[in-house]
Amino acid sequence: MNWNEIPGFVEVKSAHGETTVVVERERIRDACSYARDELGFNFLADIVATDYLHWGGKGVSGYIGTASGRDLNLPMTQGLQVQPQPKPWRFSVSYHLLALREGAPRVRLQVWLEDGEPVPSVISVWPTADWHERELFDLMGIRFEGHPNLVRILLEDDWEGHPLRKDYPIGGEPVRFSDAE
Amino acid sequence: MTIAPERTAIYEGSRIPKRVPTILDVPPELVATDDILQVNFGPNHPSTHGVLRLIVDLDGEQVVGVDAVIGYLHTGFEKNMEQKTWWKAITYPERIDYVGYQNNELTFVLAIEKLLAIAIPEKAIWMRMLLCELNRIHSHLVYLGTSALELGAISMFWYTFREREMILDLSEMVAGARMHTRYFQVGGLAEDIPSGFFPECRTFVEWMPKALDDYLGLLDRNQIWLERTKGIGLLSADDAIALGQSGPIARASGIDWDLRRDDPYLAYDRVDFKVPVYPGGDVYDRYRVRMDEMAESTRIVRQCLDKLERLEGKPWIADDRKVVLPPREELHTSMESLIHHFKIVTEGYRVPEGEVYVAVESPRGESGCYVVSDGGPRPWRVHFRAPSFVALEATATCMHDALIADMVAVIGSLDAVMGDTDR
Amino acid sequence: MVTRLRDYGLQSERLLWPTKGPSHFEEEMGVEDLEQALGLTTLEKAVRWAQTKSMWPDTFGLACCAIEMMAIVSARYDIARFGMEAFRSSPRQADLLIVSGRVSHKMAAPLRQIYDQMVEPKWVIAMGACASSGGMFNNYAILQGVDRIVPVDIYVPFCPPRPEALMEGIIRLHEAHLAGVPPAYERRQVAT
Repeated sequence: MNWNEIPGFVEVKSAHGETTVVVERERIRDACSYARDELGFNFLADIVATDYLHWGGKGVSGYIGTASGRDLNLPMTQGLQVQPQPKPWRFSVSYHLLALREGAPRVRLQVWLEDGEPVPSVISVWPTADWHERELFDLMGIRFEGHPNLVRILLEDDWEGHPLRKDYPIGGEPVRFSDAE
Repeated sequence: MTIAPERTAIYEGSRIPKRVPTILDVPPELVATDDILQVNFGPNHPSTHGVLRLIVDLDGEQVVGVDAVIGYLHTGFEKNMEQKTWWKAITYPERIDYVGYQNNELTFVLAIEKLLAIAIPEKAIWMRMLLCELNRIHSHLVYLGTSALELGAISMFWYTFREREMILDLSEMVAGARMHTRYFQVGGLAEDIPSGFFPECRTFVEWMPKALDDYLGLLDRNQIWLERTKGIGLLSADDAIALGQSGPIARASGIDWDLRRDDPYLAYDRVDFKVPVYPGGDVYDRYRVRMDEMAESTRIVRQCLDKLERLEGKPWIADDRKVVLPPREELHTSMESLIHHFKIVTEGYRVPEGEVYVAVESPRGESGCYVVSDGGPRPWRVHFRAPSFVALEATATCMHDALIADMVAVIGSLDAVMGDTDR
Repeated sequence: MVTRLRDYGLQSERLLWPTKGPSHFEEEMGVEDLEQALGLTTLEKAVRWAQTKSMWPDTFGLACCAIEMMAIVSARYDIARFGMEAFRSSPRQADLLIVSGRVSHKMAAPLRQIYDQMVEPKWVIAMGACASSGGMFNNYAILQGVDRIVPVDIYVPFCPPRPEALMEGIIRLHEAHLAGVPPAYERRQVAT
């Protein structure tokens, strides 16, 4: 499958048997229409947002092993510490697509954005994006342009803050002797 | 997979509401008559499965507006799992879809294993499949009991829960707990399968087809059941795909798609089972799909038992001691085992950096887990693709031209578990 | 030991009319002492006995514990033996609120409303770890124990409790009530 033709194409990555296509944030709606109509990905499985604040910073100790993989059981692999790859922006929004045909091809379209930047809504391409985008607005604070009903869905309407962000505390009540270091 | 082009469309065009796909708006001419009654089917209601709130606009008995409000069970799973190590976080996904709990556990464990690129022993693969299929039967039994109860067929509840108790007995025998077993671990299973499980499971497998015949005999030719479920809650195949439906809801609308057959995981490509597909797209077809799936799951369990009885004495978890806890007897004699045990339990094993998305066929549809790892002992981001969340998006489309009594039937047939919806 | 009416400070007609023999009723009963054929109790005890024998729960299933609560209605753990199979949907008709499952902050207001709508005497069982103390979910979304908003009589631990564990909790509630322990709202003197 030739991913270069997709509108707003930035790069394509392949890992663990999965393909991730990074597209420009403003062109995501065209990219999704292209994926649905030209490439046959008619099923939107999921929209996920990840907050990469403090990625690679203190408290993220990275992976201990070989630089290429996981051969920890080979001798002389101790001591090599691999820091995670730095990320270009703070948020990534991933659209998991599936084509309902032979072989079940899946792809992940990914856009990267900073705090406050809006993402065009893909509700006109797949109506199922409605609640997924509302959930991302509710928990991560990402605004979707063109969404007809962008209100909180899982939390109360007057909740302040966006809990799934990394700068939002876990909450709950303090428990003795269990300080998070 | 074939979305057969020659199938007859269930209805013309698309019934997805135009303004907001998940809200059925009252037509303006009816608003002007000032005759609309807005009723709140609040979060505490016997017929909404769990804490679902529906704001329904009624014109007499006709439903002209529906808005589903969710979030009354929002637990913050995803944020909570970021605070725990990988090993401790396995206890969380089970409680998301608390009726089909083994499948959520399975997605999370498969996602970690995909990142780790670890090989699972055969025994663990087949036992996982057996428990997931038993869990599918369990989930469909709970669906059948509660849906029938809501439509008035009260005795079905007692019959289905009788079989459900048999399945929970099997689960308790294997894993020690009836629900939320934490039996699937990264690398395989937590413990070996106890002797005495296989004869008990065989007894259940021999009993289940008779029980299914009982249920069909009670419901399938019952005129009231047929009147209340046939032609109700129609959802066409194109609307279903546009709304992201999968699982029994999609298969009842004529979409021949099952992740077990089309995107196989575990050992589903090595067992023989049929995928039931019905063209009608109504509540009755969704009921038939789930009944047939119970029969097919019994067949799969029988094949797993045949295979597992030949694998007695084989390892049940992978060999990789950096990830898997050592057996307890070794802790007395081996220093390395003790150190590894200590490190895995306190600090946690580390998973290489990356992001994966793994999807399985849960009793409700495609249940997926998206994991981002930073290379450390804790997950950076975990997200669960909840089939019930997506199923409730179809409420407004299915409630086109429906009466208030049909609403109960439609919500029951969508089989939404609120833990799965709200996470 | 036979307790006689006069031990209660009552004067029967036998005392007031010493020469009267046994009444027609006593002769029909055919026992020496009437007290051996009658059960004597106080009104409070009798009322409490009746309340325990038909304490109807409210349908308040929230999460995983609700499935185990449905299991106690099923044939194996039959709660109809205790007269409690009639789960009332309307809180006005219910006596017992079994909070089964995790209570989020959004659900806390409806929970309190349901509790307020119930009529005295009413009891609350916090079923499971999440209702008792927040369970494994020590985070922004879950109420850390339902006793922060309603007074709780019995806490049933485990996640989810076995149906037998929930039934033990219910039976202990019955025993406590029979022994005269007042419901939690009286003990804690909170608004009902």
